[in-house]
Amino acid sequence: MSTKPEAAEALPPGMGRRRVKSGGIARLMWKYKALYIISLPGILYFLIFKYIPLGGSIIAFQDYNIFKGFTGSEWVGFAHFKTMFEHYDFLRILKNTVLIGLYDLVIAFPAPIILAILLNELRLVLFKRVVQTVVYMPHFLSWVVIAGMSVAILSPATGILNQLLGLFGIDPLYFLGDNRYIRSVLVGSGIWRDTGYGTILYLAALAGINPELYEAAEIDGANRWKQTLKITLPALLPTIMILFLLHIGKFLDFGFERVWVFLNALNTENGEILDTYIYRAGLLSQQYSYTTAVGLFKSVVGLVLVMAGNFFSKKTTGESLY
Amino acid sequence: MKKWASLLLAGVMAAGLLAGCSGKQETSGGQEESKEETKQAAADEVTKFSISLRTLNFGHVEKSPDINQDKWVKRLEELTKTDLDIRLVPHKEYEQKMAQMFATNDIPDVVQGQGGVTGKEMAGSVEAGVFMPLDDLLKEHGQNLLKKIPKEAWNRMTYQGKIYGIPEWLSNPSRRATWIRKDLLDQTGLPVPKTVDEYLNVLRAFKKLGVENPYMGRQDFKYADTFFGAYDVFPYLSQFEEVNGEVQPKFFDSENMMKALSTYKTMYDEGLINKEFATINPTTFKNTILAGKAGMWSMNANELIQWETQLKESVPNAKLEIIPSPVGPDGKGGYYLYGDVNRSYFINAKYKHPEKVIQFLDWMVSDEAEKFFTFGVEGENYTMNGDKIDYKQPTDSQGVDEERYRQSFLWLVQDTTYNKGSLSLTEEGRNLMSVFDNILANEGRDGMEFEPRLEALKKNPDITPLSDTPPPVLITHMVKMVYGQEPIENWPKVIEEWKSKGGKDVLAEANERFQKKEGVFLPRK
Repeated sequence: MSTKPEAAEALPPGMGRRRVKSGGIARLMWKYKALYIISLPGILYFLIFKYIPLGGSIIAFQDYNIFKGFTGSEWVGFAHFKTMFEHYDFLRILKNTVLIGLYDLVIAFPAPIILAILLNELRLVLFKRVVQTVVYMPHFLSWVVIAGMSVAILSPATGILNQLLGLFGIDPLYFLGDNRYIRSVLVGSGIWRDTGYGTILYLAALAGINPELYEAAEIDGANRWKQTLKITLPALLPTIMILFLLHIGKFLDFGFERVWVFLNALNTENGEILDTYIYRAGLLSQQYSYTTAVGLFKSVVGLVLVMAGNFFSKKTTGESLY
Repeated sequence: MKKWASLLLAGVMAAGLLAGCSGKQETSGGQEESKEETKQAAADEVTKFSISLRTLNFGHVEKSPDINQDKWVKRLEELTKTDLDIRLVPHKEYEQKMAQMFATNDIPDVVQGQGGVTGKEMAGSVEAGVFMPLDDLLKEHGQNLLKKIPKEAWNRMTYQGKIYGIPEWLSNPSRRATWIRKDLLDQTGLPVPKTVDEYLNVLRAFKKLGVENPYMGRQDFKYADTFFGAYDVFPYLSQFEEVNGEVQPKFFDSENMMKALSTYKTMYDEGLINKEFATINPTTFKNTILAGKAGMWSMNANELIQWETQLKESVPNAKLEIIPSPVGPDGKGGYYLYGDVNRSYFINAKYKHPEKVIQFLDWMVSDEAEKFFTFGVEGENYTMNGDKIDYKQPTDSQGVDEERYRQSFLWLVQDTTYNKGSLSLTEEGRNLMSVFDNILANEGRDGMEFEPRLEALKKNPDITPLSDTPPPVLITHMVKMVYGQEPIENWPKVIEEWKSKGGKDVLAEANERFQKKEGVFLPRK
């Protein structure tokens, strides 16, 4: 569903900006034919596996029946969208999705940037490498495993977190069985899992900064904090902007599995998001058309966000995806 | 060797991909015809057909590199003069894979369903005319099937007056049971409890003994619904009832529902159930019990021998027993009853030799088949001692897997209550049979069921119960009430909420179907 932002990802930044005078396109294509041939498999991949399946979204406007196919199913126009907006729980689920997405953007997105800068300040190479490897690790655990661990860690009776809180005289909290904590748990588990892995791109960008800049700054009397603010951050900005734009494109795609594994009767009210709703309504109740409509809605919102974000970013920082 | 195998796998996958890409309709039709021609000559001797089977978590099946080369499949083919092309459907994604199979029109000659003709996994295929009616064929070639399989099971296989599938049946649908640690009960000195109050007293005594989980709780009350059964208020799919001429779900009985919820609340308040039961998953549930930290729970009775063996590894003097479930105000109790049909087999309308498939399935209920699937092959699995069979019980887990596979998976049509032949060989097996026949057969809660499912239920997953879980709208309130976050007196309001979220349409449709007697299955008990 969310093919648009992913497709944009494939183009190296800046490619789209190149202007070609009319008439010369064919000649240029001939001139760079090797490049075109090299890019052909990639283009075909996106056409066949991303763009053509997009056409399947038309079932959102039909009453899709798997035995009739999309050529034989009845057209119903916007009926499924209407059902969606009128659903008594739609606002609650959308609110959860937006709030969790927002927390994720505000807290989880900057986390790898900060961690990368901190890692960059380490002087002992061995220590840096060890820390790096350790923080990458959780990324390779499946959500099911993480949920299992969380249940153990957050348990009110035996969990280590509650025992720590107990030392400060705080009564045990049932983190997974309470609407008030579920969103924090969801975003927090994501930070724990992916922050380390997210630093890779930033560390690569940091490695590319010319050391002479720091030397010059030191001679000018700038301390480390000033150097970070005036050199490191500006140098990281292009990377941050690109990743930020890609992130807001997936604003409503918080992810199905990572939420599903944490949900239970006591936290569904604040924890359920569009993805989990789609799963329940679509795959468990086999309402293919209806859930395609919900998915399409999500994708359109993502597309609008990416385009708006890109527009503002271009205006303000000059950085953009296309 | 490994490399070779993976190369082959890659080749097969690539071929499959190619086949998948080219026009589906044409290739499948063409293949069928060419198959047909080559087969025609051999039709009298060996019947060839493809069949889809759900793996059902059988270790032997899921680990097999190619089930069609399995020695038991080969032997079965020899005995029945068939050539099977078994296509396994992964257990976990069964419903999705089935829908995919129908959507891509890549349908085997025989399709294994689960339960009735209009189940979710069938995705409306029977209504769409994908399979053929079998009445005439059964009369001619399936007399043994007609004789052995009970009428209730055939009813489930009927759509618009015609039989569409052959069921593997369950003569005793009461499967779940109340388990107790008999060694602990003996320590308390209390007799086997009968009523809810007696049960609570036993749980309190367990608590005094220091048992961590007197009653083992679990997420969403799944396998932890003993007391809803006592009060006959299961909020499940098959639990509608007629009250003063109106059809309604059993949880509408507020008085009993509130009593059941209060029972759980008492257990929660007194620490007789884990305070974190809302987040206890199936794995934790089983591990806790097998570690000897639970006193009483609910589980499928057929697991008894296996669990006792495993429990004894950590608690050597543990003793498990299945006892009659607690009875409520009406003097009855038990768990929800399973469907009459376990697996069912449908024949593709395009298949040319359906009579051969019927004969093949008819053979499944013969004495020869019973002996073959139960005891295997003479010389390898048993020896004859005069008239008596000396069966070699498998000792390692691989052997057990293979035995279970032969007795349950490959034996396509049988009464799945229990395997009589193999259980009667041992003392504990005979005990288990007596549990089924003397305890479970006398309990269980059934209700009115609608098949095909009510349309109004399909529309909204929030108000839709599953076969053994309450609808999400209710679970939230039920769990909160037990945790004391919401007063139990609110139950009538919960019913109103269920009604307002689409339940009204469910009631209207259910009553209409009930009046017209369309796809209504009345309670069996």
